[in-house]
Amino acid sequence: MVLDLLANGLVYSSILVLGSIGLSLVYSIADFANFAHGDTMTVGAYSALVTFGAVGGLGGAILGLPLGFFIALAVGIAMAALVAVVTEKVVYEGLDEVGSIGLLITSIGIAFVYRAVIQMGFGADFTRFDIQALRPIEALVPYGIRVTEHDVAIVVSAAVLVTGLHVLLQYTDLGRKMRAMADNPDLARVSGIRTDRVKLWTWVIGAGLAGSGGVFLGLFNQLRPRMGFDLLLLIFAAVILGGIGSVYGAMLGGFLIGMINELTPALSDLGSLLPLVPDAWGIPIGIEYADAIAFVIMVLVLLFRPNGIAGDEEGT
Amino acid sequence: MSVLSDPQGYWADLTRAEQGVTAFVLLFATLLLLGLLTGGLGPSYFLFLVGLAGMYSLLSFGLNVQWGYSGLINFSVAAFFGIGAYGTALASASSSPLAGGIPPIVGLFVALVLAAVLALLIGIPTLRLRADYLAIASIGLAEVVRIIILNEEGLTNGSAGVRGIPSFFEGWPVLETFPEAMPGVIISFLPGPDIVLQTPFWRALLNVALVLTLVGICYLVLRRVHRSPWGRVLRTIRSDEDLARALGKNTYSYKMQAFVLGSVIMALAGVFYAHLNLYVGPGDLNPITTFYVWVAVILGGSGSNRGALFGGFVIVAIQQGTRFLNELAFIPVDVAPLRLLLIGVIIVLLMRFRPQGVLPPQRELIWSGVVDDAPERPESGVRGAKAGESDD
Repeated sequence: MVLDLLANGLVYSSILVLGSIGLSLVYSIADFANFAHGDTMTVGAYSALVTFGAVGGLGGAILGLPLGFFIALAVGIAMAALVAVVTEKVVYEGLDEVGSIGLLITSIGIAFVYRAVIQMGFGADFTRFDIQALRPIEALVPYGIRVTEHDVAIVVSAAVLVTGLHVLLQYTDLGRKMRAMADNPDLARVSGIRTDRVKLWTWVIGAGLAGSGGVFLGLFNQLRPRMGFDLLLLIFAAVILGGIGSVYGAMLGGFLIGMINELTPALSDLGSLLPLVPDAWGIPIGIEYADAIAFVIMVLVLLFRPNGIAGDEEGT
Repeated sequence: MSVLSDPQGYWADLTRAEQGVTAFVLLFATLLLLGLLTGGLGPSYFLFLVGLAGMYSLLSFGLNVQWGYSGLINFSVAAFFGIGAYGTALASASSSPLAGGIPPIVGLFVALVLAAVLALLIGIPTLRLRADYLAIASIGLAEVVRIIILNEEGLTNGSAGVRGIPSFFEGWPVLETFPEAMPGVIISFLPGPDIVLQTPFWRALLNVALVLTLVGICYLVLRRVHRSPWGRVLRTIRSDEDLARALGKNTYSYKMQAFVLGSVIMALAGVFYAHLNLYVGPGDLNPITTFYVWVAVILGGSGSNRGALFGGFVIVAIQQGTRFLNELAFIPVDVAPLRLLLIGVIIVLLMRFRPQGVLPPQRELIWSGVVDDAPERPESGVRGAKAGESDD
């Protein structure tokens, strides 16, 4: 059972990682907690839904997904990025004097606007991508692992995106500028970096990754206007756990929170899973408390290590 | 000067925003009255709306103590509202899995104590945090409270909620039977259909009297508190916490006091809601309630009690007004997203164009005596007029 939970945790973690990176990037460069980030994921998911409806059956299939799905994914990423950039240009840019708290509150308003528009178009109910649900991969079932090819596709795609981001950050000019800005915006500005342009690219990358996370969340579960908002606090937990402003911390935090979330059922028979521990031991807690555990972890991290597990000691 | 003795002078003395709000309120009241007289708006429903508005005003008062006075970003309003509602409901309702059957007035105190305890539980760890961390941590803890209430069926009935809550005045000497004892009154001299006032109307009237009393007491207490030395320390903490600390104030302790006070007022709103609605469920703890109250406070003007009052009424206008749109056939969309859109747009526009709110607390903080009795010129020595020429 634990192997199965671990496998599902890996899938869920991949989605959370995609969401967390963007939140962390924007937090460090635009300097506010963006409460609209979850709904940016929803924007990506629904854009992909519409696109997939149009190009659905296109081409062959990779890992049980028609080629059209990857086109839809690309459109979802692009739409999420576009919407975020337009929001930045129209709304956030004009708000210089309200400070990071004012921006935080504004982003809540933005989140409502995104969600309301989606709900007007699609209703409040669940929908799903028009892709046939797959049976678990036969070869893994004997080990107790029940994952589908779609789950594998999610993990692989997330790995590709995250690796791409890593290459971008470490080996390109833009990546160096972004890291410099995240480190110290003022210093970055005086050393001649066009911070406005870097900021814009940060929004594109962060929101794009969020869009992909939304598409995969829709594939993993279902689509619904609240999907992103419901995930937002888990993403905050992941970002805070990893250390706000650290992209690699966000990856680690997203991975850990996703795993903890899916492994909650295993807590109740902890004793029989761990060696050297009496079998009767365990934390009797149901799956319904999985999110609550993540939120409590988040608060504990804020209290005892506000810079996260990957943040520097001096921090902000 | 007062409204009655010198209406013109009073009007001229108001700021533009105050004039606008006054005009808006008068217009709105006239509209409601017209609706009432022509029968478009049932009198019991009208009173229900007033009760709701009073409830939101209480919530805004509570948040105002935390955010407006002391700058604490509390995103767990819904949790305190819910704990207030559940506190009194679990004590007094017939279907309560815990106690049940206890008089509501005792339930009120149970709720307030529960809220104070929850405030300490949330406040002790989080109040030391930076502003935006506090926001995230408090909304997370509020969700934890909601998840517990949703899942601990043995304590709270879980998703079924608590039914069979008595009205607040049950067990009181005269007031318990007041709605039934009052005769039905038929008003027929007005244009439009006859207005019939029966038991539901008198019951609603009692509820409105209750909430108006609560709002009135809170308003007076808070006005006093805001101007007191205690309130001044809070304002200092809000604008510069390091300064307050340098002056020897234990800022953590002050913030905790403000947090508990605000939370108890929010719980008071929850108590009223439980006895108004006669049912509470886990849905009442949804984060959207928190954001409604934030809109009310920002709209009214952070720190301004009049603003909180105004914000509370606007929220009810949005919430209930959008219901009427449902009846207009030509609007193709569902109302729930429309309401959400409206709230979102209001937040964005406010932060963009008027972050200080419609009624900023500019003059609430000044004793009229100080302004009226102050000499125009210093008596001797210093040149120039009195300091502080800008009025905010």
